[in-house]
Amino acid sequence: MEYILNGMIEAFKLLLSGDRQLYSVIFLSIYVSFTSTLIATFLGVPLGFILGLKSFKYKNFVGRILYTCMSLPPVVVGLVVAIMISRRGPLGSLSLLFSTTGMIIAQTLLVTPIITGIIFNSSKERGQEVNDICKTLGGNKIDMLFLLIKELKVTMLVAIATGFGRAISEVGAVMIVGGNIRGHTRVMTTFIAMNHSMGNYSTSIAMGVVLLLISFITNSILYKYVMGEKK
Amino acid sequence: MNIKLKSLVKEYEMSVSVYNGFVKKRIKEMQAVLQIDEFTFEANKIYGLIGPNGAGKTTLLKIIAGLTKSSYGEVTYGGAELNDERQREITYASQRPYLLKDTVYNNIAYPLKLRKENKLRIKSKVGRIMAEFDIYYLRNQQAKNLSGGEAQKVALARALVFEPELLLLDEPTANIDPNFVELIENAILERSNKKEITVIIATHNVGQARRLCDEVIFIKAGKIVESGKAKEMILKPKEEETKKFLAFEYDIG
Repeated sequence: MEYILNGMIEAFKLLLSGDRQLYSVIFLSIYVSFTSTLIATFLGVPLGFILGLKSFKYKNFVGRILYTCMSLPPVVVGLVVAIMISRRGPLGSLSLLFSTTGMIIAQTLLVTPIITGIIFNSSKERGQEVNDICKTLGGNKIDMLFLLIKELKVTMLVAIATGFGRAISEVGAVMIVGGNIRGHTRVMTTFIAMNHSMGNYSTSIAMGVVLLLISFITNSILYKYVMGEKK
Repeated sequence: MNIKLKSLVKEYEMSVSVYNGFVKKRIKEMQAVLQIDEFTFEANKIYGLIGPNGAGKTTLLKIIAGLTKSSYGEVTYGGAELNDERQREITYASQRPYLLKDTVYNNIAYPLKLRKENKLRIKSKVGRIMAEFDIYYLRNQQAKNLSGGEAQKVALARALVFEPELLLLDEPTANIDPNFVELIENAILERSNKKEITVIIATHNVGQARRLCDEVIFIKAGKIVESGKAKEMILKPKEEETKKFLAFEYDIG
């Protein structure tokens, strides 16, 4: 038990020591996950709305595919992306393997279905109602769009936060695509996995604490908005 | 504006189980939920749609409101088809009101904001109607915290605030306390007396239909069984089915 306690103490010492390597890992992690969530938001939010609001023949089937994609195993996504961008792969000429861009691509693929799926689900349920109310009160198509965004604001925030949470906490995709190269593609999760297998528990715990902290901050912001709505 | 219905049919796809002697099969079949050959709602009158659950009252209101498309037939508004301009003069208040995630004030002000009215006018109009409906004390509350009856009053105030020419109400007083029903009914009557407005109300409450409406239409299984002047028809229905329904719903004495 003692090594856990020591690990915790060491962790806080390390966090306060201003170790540059540690901070660059944290920074890269946030940068990669933030960028991929941003791209996924721009792709997933409109896509979710379109799929949710339009009625078309295979809507239920599309929904099922979408929900499956929401729980794609990161390792598999990483593997597929790595194969695509490896030297011999179809996108090999871009030399993206073991690069930040490669990691962003993999995480975007993971996060986009999550954001799309959440928006799809709630716009499918509530979209018609919101459209109807806007129409009966005299709104046009543009008014409807604005009202829908306003009414589903919380859902959108939940979707984005969930996506970001997924991106920052996954280890499989960034490990395979990024390769955990020191100072280059090493992020928090791969850092924790590596240090744990090397026996550096305190460093692992320190990074774990940071990861939890980021998660806590993201959720606090979200919670504030959601509760603000409920007041 | 008067509303003309012509050979109006609404069908839905329903799955029916059929037994062919060997196995039970589920097949999809089109079933008509509404079939109206011809009917005209004249301008500046109050109409009551009465009939049992699932008779097609809500479907008819939604078709007239432009929310649902009919499978066949047509609806004309003052002799013309529905366009954006006419759509703005029509409103429909559902029996389960949907209020925006905002304050009561902003909910009622929303249709006026859509019409780009200036702030001062919005304030006075919303204030006046909130006073009329006795909901002024709720103005800063979030709509989601309201009770069923309060929400219905807010939804009605929101529907009336922009003075539409055609008002479609689906069970407007279903959740409302008896002592407020009169207030709502008076609000509708007053507007009908003062302004050119056509009102169509779907209601279970035959007493309400008698108090409010000029004309009453009895619908069953998607078809108009009987229609006529409210006071005459409710007291002396001609058709057997209407008699049965009225005897059950409303004790003629």
